[in-house]
Amino acid sequence: MALKGISADFYAGEFACIVGRSGAGKSTLVNMITGVDHLSSGEVWENGIPVHKLNENQVALWRGRNLGIVYQSFRLMPSLCLLDNVMLPMDLCGMYDRKKSPERAMTLLKDVELENHAFKPPSAVSGGQQQRVAIARALANDPPILVADEPTGRLDSMTADIIVEMFEKLASQGKLVIMVTHDTSVLSKATRAITIQDGELIQDSKKTG
Amino acid sequence: MEQQKRILEIRPRWRKVFSDLWGNRIRTLLVVASIAVGLFSVGMIATIHSYLTNDMTKSYAAVNPANIQVSVSSFDTDTVDAIKHVPGVLDANGVRLVNLRLKAGPDQWISVTLVAIPDFNKMTINQVRQVQGQWPPADHQVVFDLHKLPDANAKIGDLVEVKLPGETTTRQLKIVGTVQDQTIGSSGGGGGYFLAPLQGYITYDTLEWLDQPKELNELYATVASDPNDEVHIRAVADKVSKKLEDNNHLVLNSLVRRTIDHPNSVYVQAMTGVLFMMGFFVVFLSTFLITNTLSGLLSQQTEQIGVMKTVGARSGQIIGIYVVLILSFSLIALLISMSVSGQIGYQFSRILGTQLNFTVGAYRTVPLAILLQISIALIVPLAAGIFPILQGARVTVQEAFNGTNAAGLEQKSDWIGTITRTIHIISRPMLISLRNTFRRKGRLLLTLITLTLGGAIFIATFNVRASMEDYIKRLSKYFVADVSLNLQYPYRVKRVDQDILNIPGVAMVEGWSGARVELLQADDKPGEAVRLVAPPVDSKLIEPIVTQGRWIEQGDQNAITLNELFLSKFPNLKIGDTLRLRVNGQKTNWIVVGFFQFAGKSGGYIGYANYDYLSQLIHTPDQAATYEIVTSGQDHSFQAQKAEGELVESYMDKLGYHISDVGAGNNTLNSASSGLNTLIGFLLVMALLSAIVGSIGLTGTLSMNVLERTREIGIMRAIGASDLTIMKMVIVEGVIIGVSSWFLGSLLAFPISNLLWVAISTAIFNASSSFTLTPTGFLIWMVLVLILSVLASVIPARNAARLTIREILSYE
Repeated sequence: MALKGISADFYAGEFACIVGRSGAGKSTLVNMITGVDHLSSGEVWENGIPVHKLNENQVALWRGRNLGIVYQSFRLMPSLCLLDNVMLPMDLCGMYDRKKSPERAMTLLKDVELENHAFKPPSAVSGGQQQRVAIARALANDPPILVADEPTGRLDSMTADIIVEMFEKLASQGKLVIMVTHDTSVLSKATRAITIQDGELIQDSKKTG
Repeated sequence: MEQQKRILEIRPRWRKVFSDLWGNRIRTLLVVASIAVGLFSVGMIATIHSYLTNDMTKSYAAVNPANIQVSVSSFDTDTVDAIKHVPGVLDANGVRLVNLRLKAGPDQWISVTLVAIPDFNKMTINQVRQVQGQWPPADHQVVFDLHKLPDANAKIGDLVEVKLPGETTTRQLKIVGTVQDQTIGSSGGGGGYFLAPLQGYITYDTLEWLDQPKELNELYATVASDPNDEVHIRAVADKVSKKLEDNNHLVLNSLVRRTIDHPNSVYVQAMTGVLFMMGFFVVFLSTFLITNTLSGLLSQQTEQIGVMKTVGARSGQIIGIYVVLILSFSLIALLISMSVSGQIGYQFSRILGTQLNFTVGAYRTVPLAILLQISIALIVPLAAGIFPILQGARVTVQEAFNGTNAAGLEQKSDWIGTITRTIHIISRPMLISLRNTFRRKGRLLLTLITLTLGGAIFIATFNVRASMEDYIKRLSKYFVADVSLNLQYPYRVKRVDQDILNIPGVAMVEGWSGARVELLQADDKPGEAVRLVAPPVDSKLIEPIVTQGRWIEQGDQNAITLNELFLSKFPNLKIGDTLRLRVNGQKTNWIVVGFFQFAGKSGGYIGYANYDYLSQLIHTPDQAATYEIVTSGQDHSFQAQKAEGELVESYMDKLGYHISDVGAGNNTLNSASSGLNTLIGFLLVMALLSAIVGSIGLTGTLSMNVLERTREIGIMRAIGASDLTIMKMVIVEGVIIGVSSWFLGSLLAFPISNLLWVAISTAIFNASSSFTLTPTGFLIWMVLVLILSVLASVIPARNAARLTIREILSYE
């Protein structure tokens, strides 16, 4: 059993960090939250939606509309340019008018200061830039929740700081940001720290404003 | 900006499809090639089939071929007019056929048949197609058919010398043109198209100049209705014969032919059979190839499928994306195959048309070929890819990112790994190769099936070729003699033997009797001509291929053995039955004692009888007009035989013998087997197609295997494996697959060879003859598959070995 007896509520505007040693169950918890993995027991609710009861296709659509996921290894589509990567969730979930999608995607790239690289493939930009594009993609459908699994794991400290700052800003704008990290220095920027050890939630400090 | 805007209006999911096509061009090329080779083969095969069947029939019908051909002692144009009024007859023409000898070299004479036409403007039946020069000829001129013209060693503008029958006098005719006569070989008893002599066309007045009577001796007629109903045509032919006989003309023989029956149609039937079989095999093969290639492609896309699912893609959307991707591959393959299969099929058909003496029309699009290619392009790749697509669409994000698939194949028990771990005598890298070969069992199975089938077909075509060559060699037992001397009339055998044995280089001679006789129909009316041959019963110069019953024996009276055409035309005829023949005007009964296989159903009716009995019957006891001669030298090549023949002719001519024809044994054999050689060439093209399909399969699989293991290669490099070790591992894997497929393909080649040979021999000989194996196909395929295995693995292995460790380990 990877997780035991974990119970937590998350709210809009929180910047919650999940910390713990390797093998503690952090990624498993995030996979449960995002619907990537299936619960053997327990429940996941998001805004009244029982995520744990959705089938694969329903989870995928729910994920596309309500979650933005950022991975350690960026996981951009190598055969699409940066702009298309950002447009892809809009295309798949149909939340924005097709003709307006390119404009919205370009705006998101501007927000991460990569509008000049819009038509380049992921392999043509640096790791940090790729991660910023991943964040832009995660925000494509304006989801209320952003989940990041070790998003700074492959980045240098300066770039990592920029990424964390972006998450801080998003949380302050009302989004729920959940970030799994090894990096304890991030905790100072988070509004909440959840410590997982051996599959159990051993500490959950909610910080106010 | 405007263009960019337009491009951006295309949805990202479709731009992904385009990027996948264009981004990895080598992979696209492999997938497209897998599909295109099957489409191309089917398109080409359907095109050739259409041209062969339609154009042969059409071009033959266009010459208004005779339905009825009657050899008559002599008649005139008034008789022809009378025949036109016989009920059922549409039209009638008359010609005179003259058999002469033409000088083809200093001491070389060949047979030539001249067709003297009373009025070229009224020649409506058996029309010829003008090829070059002048048509019709004027007096003292000749126009030759293209067939066998090279044997005359002459061209348009040359004067050729012809020897008048029974005389030493010669005449010179000027060649003024060439034509194509598609009816050559239709007269049945002549031995078919490939055995027919050179044919030329002259005016009626030229006949007189050649000291020939200005009388017609060959009547052509067409029927007014049902020109493809043989029974009806025969009924009309009987009325024609009766009309002739009622007017005191002697009917020598009468044959009937349907308008659709081109003289070489048996070869087309055989090719059609092979075409259908090969078409089926290639599509079957191609399906496996496509399945394998698409499986590999989709397994490389697993992670991307996972990513799309994290950003909202549902299974239906994933399926849609990859269906469009596959259809895009299909469309590209279709465009390629449609643009070349038609042209190549057409050119191939033209080559076959030249060899089989019919005219292929102008290039046209064959709707069936297009329809087949479109159907297969739409159906087969999708059918082949649907399982991998569904598998891929079902994969969860977790499985996609962990590198497993829905079936969890990677997690199954690794029995090969267990085995290889216990083997200590082979190095670890080689054991890894062995294990890697069996790691992707589904892909390995598909690759093996493709290569095995391709190899089996490749080997089978060589076996069939060997069977045909073997058959041709067995045919040569009918032409054991080095030289065949035909005299204009029978001479005493003892005298001729003595004279021939005095010729330097002659070791042995046999006098054979023979006659051109006619089949008698139920009402005793003369029918088709039969060439009746009667060698001495102890002849050492013939080893027949008896398929039923027995050969002629000592003491036989009216026993007769018959060739395969009899069984084709008279399926109820069996051993012990009585066959009525008209021999020298006399109605005779013959007992069928056996059937033999000769050169196919297009060679005309041939029968063998007892020499003593026949020679008595035709009132030439102890005489013969045909002498089969064996030379004493070691060299039995065509050139040596030709030289000896010229010597024999010169010698016998000086002795005052009237010679009709002298031929080299190999010449007759070569002519008889020309049609089969066309088939052999055709089969080799099919073998090449199979090899190409198999090659693409192997290349694709090995490339994908290496691509998927790039990370593993990087790890091995990081722990000390050299470039050479990496390359050896990949090459060994390729060779294992290649050798395994060769072994399996060799086994499968046996039944496939048999199947192909049965189809061909039934079509040509109306019976399946024994089948020959040759190591040639096995060895060539072994070498090819080894070379392919190495080449197909070297290139990706070299590319992988060249990457830096950093590049590989950061590879996604």
